[in-house]
Amino acid sequence: MLLILAAAHMTAQTHPDLSGYWELRYDSMAVGVASLTAAMSGRDAIKAQVRHDAEAIRRCTNIGIPAIMGDRSAIDLRQSPTVTAIAAKPPSSMRYIYTDGRKHPSKDDYDPTTNGHSIGHWDGDTLIVDTILFNGSGVTRIPGGGVRTPDSHLVERYRLLAGGNRLAVTFTWEDPKTFEKPHTYEFRYYRIDRIAEPRMYNCNPNDPERAKFLLEGLEN
Amino acid sequence: MRTQRTLAKIVWVLTLLAGQAGSQSKGLDISGMWLVQDPGSGSFTDWFNNVPKPKLRPDVIKDNEAQAASEAAGNVVNTAPRLETCPVGNFPLMMASSPALNIVQSRDEVLIGAEAGRARFIYMDGRDHSETKAQGYRASGFGHSIGHIEGETLVVDTVAFPTICDNRHPVMVTPGGGRARSTTHLAERFRLADNGEEMSITFTWEDPTVFLEPHTYTYRFKKLPEAHPFENN
Repeated sequence: MLLILAAAHMTAQTHPDLSGYWELRYDSMAVGVASLTAAMSGRDAIKAQVRHDAEAIRRCTNIGIPAIMGDRSAIDLRQSPTVTAIAAKPPSSMRYIYTDGRKHPSKDDYDPTTNGHSIGHWDGDTLIVDTILFNGSGVTRIPGGGVRTPDSHLVERYRLLAGGNRLAVTFTWEDPKTFEKPHTYEFRYYRIDRIAEPRMYNCNPNDPERAKFLLEGLEN
Repeated sequence: MRTQRTLAKIVWVLTLLAGQAGSQSKGLDISGMWLVQDPGSGSFTDWFNNVPKPKLRPDVIKDNEAQAASEAAGNVVNTAPRLETCPVGNFPLMMASSPALNIVQSRDEVLIGAEAGRARFIYMDGRDHSETKAQGYRASGFGHSIGHIEGETLVVDTVAFPTICDNRHPVMVTPGGGRARSTTHLAERFRLADNGEEMSITFTWEDPTVFLEPHTYTYRFKKLPEAHPFENN
């Protein structure tokens, strides 16, 4: 019995450390086409989604998931025993993944956010992250098709490859109003040594030239 | 004989567990959500200035008086245009803000998240401040922070506060009326108390262009174990 306890304890202490600066490159994304519901796949729905996201960028709104995970500036992932944080360069909140055994809060106890509420647990060397309680703000488009909505459910699987120099993350989105079936894709990030300062964009929502660039032509 | 074998197994298991516990508790872990404890100042300005009075240079005092007179005359809305060249973040306001700080401490870096989604970064990987001298380095409003553990204290050293770029943010004010700018040096000491339920941060600001002597004060924080970070757009 004691041996079993000791083995379990040791196993619990030996999770990989995913901490680091992780960068997407041209060969980092394996993304298939999502099977969208009829309501989401029409031209009007797509135009509305494109407009929504362009407005969010123009107004410097926190972009949220999945956009922060797909940005070309490196993400900073930091892991502690109880919580993992992810910071991105574009306008965004820090993302927190709780690994202390807590459950998702009820909808009554949580103001939905662009990053949602994430809890994680380890399955061997893989960190499995479950996220719900999103809002519809920010940049909502999902790679391969579809959008993040308040009904979205995201499951991610994080694991190290190539001796710790790559981070593979598979994303599986479920949302019956958006997808006919779960939509899965994978990103493989490259580990880099440093991130250049400053670590955040200074986004200016009042720049008229920027607004014109982002919004002009969306009606075509 | 059987009892001896059982005892030996117990000793072996306890040794393993002690080893594991030792590696886990090595150093300090300040991860968590922390709410700053305002003793009841009444307003943010009063709370912000509720610190031992700094000894300021006469020109800084004069500048503070001019600013106060301007505000008293009704100039309280800053209409200067926002520029991309302005630095992101304001260190003194972030550390004093009423929403909880959300801290994640990893081996090589500490991330501190705040209400507005902005994050402060403390490098623990042994680097120095030399990158702030590199061509193209652009300071943020949080400065450049490096840290290390001394016993049960996280010691953080911050420099490279930005040179203010426009009239919208003409100065970065520190508690009590000081300034944080490119010549400023800040030392912080993070400590836990009450079995990890409380944290204190002692700040010491030094800048011969601002202070006549180092300005030191301490903030106390309570841990919020089940709180949720919120998002402010």
